Amino acid sequence: MIASSIRWPMVGAQKSSKDITTELLAPNETKPALWWYIGMGIGTIFLAYGAWAFYMSLSVGLGTWGLTNSVGWGWDIINFVWWIGIGHAGTAFTIFFLVFRQKWAASINRTAEAMTVFAVMCAGIFPLIHMGRPWLAFFIMPYPNTRLLWVNFNSPLFWDVVAISTYLLMSITLWYFGMIPDLATMRDRAKNKISKEIYGFFSMGWDGSMISYNRYETLTRILGGLAAPLVISVHTIVALDFSISVLPGWHATILPPYFFVGAIFSGFAMVLTIMILMRKAFKISDFITEKHLDSIARVLKYGSLVIGLAYAIELFIAWYSGVEYEIYTFFNARASGTFSTAFWIMVFCNAIVPQVFWFKKARRNIAILFTVSILINIGMWFERFIILISSLAEDFLPSSWTDYSPTLVDIGVYVGTFGIFICGMLLFIRYIPIIAINEVKAYKKEGN
Amino acid sequence: MAPKNIVATFRDEANLLKAVTRLKENKVNMLDVYGPFANHDLLKKLTSESKLPYAAVLYGIIAIVSIFGFMYYTSVIDYPIMYGGKPIFSFPPMVVIMFLFCILLTTILTVLTFHGRAMIFPGKPANIIDPSVTDDTFFLVLDQNYNPEEIKEWLKEDGAEEITEKEL
Repeated sequence: MIASSIRWPMVGAQKSSKDITTELLAPNETKPALWWYIGMGIGTIFLAYGAWAFYMSLSVGLGTWGLTNSVGWGWDIINFVWWIGIGHAGTAFTIFFLVFRQKWAASINRTAEAMTVFAVMCAGIFPLIHMGRPWLAFFIMPYPNTRLLWVNFNSPLFWDVVAISTYLLMSITLWYFGMIPDLATMRDRAKNKISKEIYGFFSMGWDGSMISYNRYETLTRILGGLAAPLVISVHTIVALDFSISVLPGWHATILPPYFFVGAIFSGFAMVLTIMILMRKAFKISDFITEKHLDSIARVLKYGSLVIGLAYAIELFIAWYSGVEYEIYTFFNARASGTFSTAFWIMVFCNAIVPQVFWFKKARRNIAILFTVSILINIGMWFERFIILISSLAEDFLPSSWTDYSPTLVDIGVYVGTFGIFICGMLLFIRYIPIIAINEVKAYKKEGN
Repeated sequence: MAPKNIVATFRDEANLLKAVTRLKENKVNMLDVYGPFANHDLLKKLTSESKLPYAAVLYGIIAIVSIFGFMYYTSVIDYPIMYGGKPIFSFPPMVVIMFLFCILLTTILTVLTFHGRAMIFPGKPANIIDPSVTDDTFFLVLDQNYNPEEIKEWLKEDGAEEITEKEL
């Protein structure tokens, strides 16, 4: 390695491979702390509320939701887009690591990928319930049904189904293949027979052969290369669900890049939240150093600039177009009318607050990092709320204008997805190494 | 009786790299190195480039051609429907599905090829050289070759912590 002042150590302190194994497997090999049980308890309560909401949505029908004739997409699609956005970070980290060779991402990509997998699962639940009869979900697959009618390949909604299914499969594949050598480490350190059997099954007989490593590294690079355009396409296609319609506020060519940047932005914010919590809980600050958090904060800063620019361009184009409906949606409904509170929360959280990361002191202050990461996710939720509800509730015809508010069932489905996410993440940190041990060992002597 | 293998143990990958370089220069037949992580310099010295990317490109081409054929058959031949006066055969929207299906099928087939070629699959029993191989130790495995004593001497000089003879 060429010594350089811009390289920084991957691991905070000098550690041997054995130290790294022992420290990083401690969360899996020791009994969970009290907070883990409390977290699982909270997650289970959320899941129970979600299960009730799911039951109500199916047994009584979607009339239990707050949707109206005008607002046909409400909390379900807001939360779908929000979760999908969060789900972009994991694969983005993997791409940083595998394709752009950003070695610092090695400490983060395992957890970020786990987050992606659970976030995409949570996202998938909303359109599934929104169908009304989810047991007929297979109708959206291209198979010749009894009417010999095929799906409409020209529809962005069908593209969405294919994109999200492919993305979920790709995320799980990248996540799982990335952890095979670490599962082998757990297999060889397992003390009881059941753990040995389970980790042995999933580690695929991994023996550490360099010939296998060579093929394995090639495979993960290919998967990373395939995932890169897929990540961009997924949120682009979600944006097309909106932008090919004719509604003011939706019918805009800026939406695909704007959605994609927003997705990376919110996903990185959620990664930051989770990494700060894990760093505190497991005392792994030698592996997730201040420089790691600093790097994420820098991405958030630039993401925020792009998002802020997109908000400004939307307003400018609405004014420049001279179309009264566009002007009404952006300047009246959103910036100064019914939805102005949500609009300015969105602008404040996404475009203004992250600018604090221009200052190094803020990027190195855990409390600020944590607060900003939470605010960004709140802001990004409001962004989706603004896009969906303001355009639907106040469209071309004032006679069809309506109020929108979610019901307890709407809220329940959303809270339920948090239950899935919390329980999923807690089970992940209990049974799977939270940091890619073999990758950290490989890069520990090199700088980033 | 089959010849035994020479197994040299290394904890420092720099020493291992030194040993592998020397053995390669002397054209010693090395079978494999087992270790807890991939050392990229070691991979370059020890293995040849994998052909997996060529297979992936082939799968991608097959995926694109087959999904285009499928969409053309369903949309134009089997059940042509006119949506909003647009032409029955419209290529641009097909690109999206071609792109996504290309990634989907290439991923699945490349992973299956990896399983077949590396012979690893869920449930395969682990036949490891030593439990520390997935923790902190590298094991360089050699054939006996024609000059085992000289090889052992080199390995010792290059920092091998232990040199044993094993039947693997």
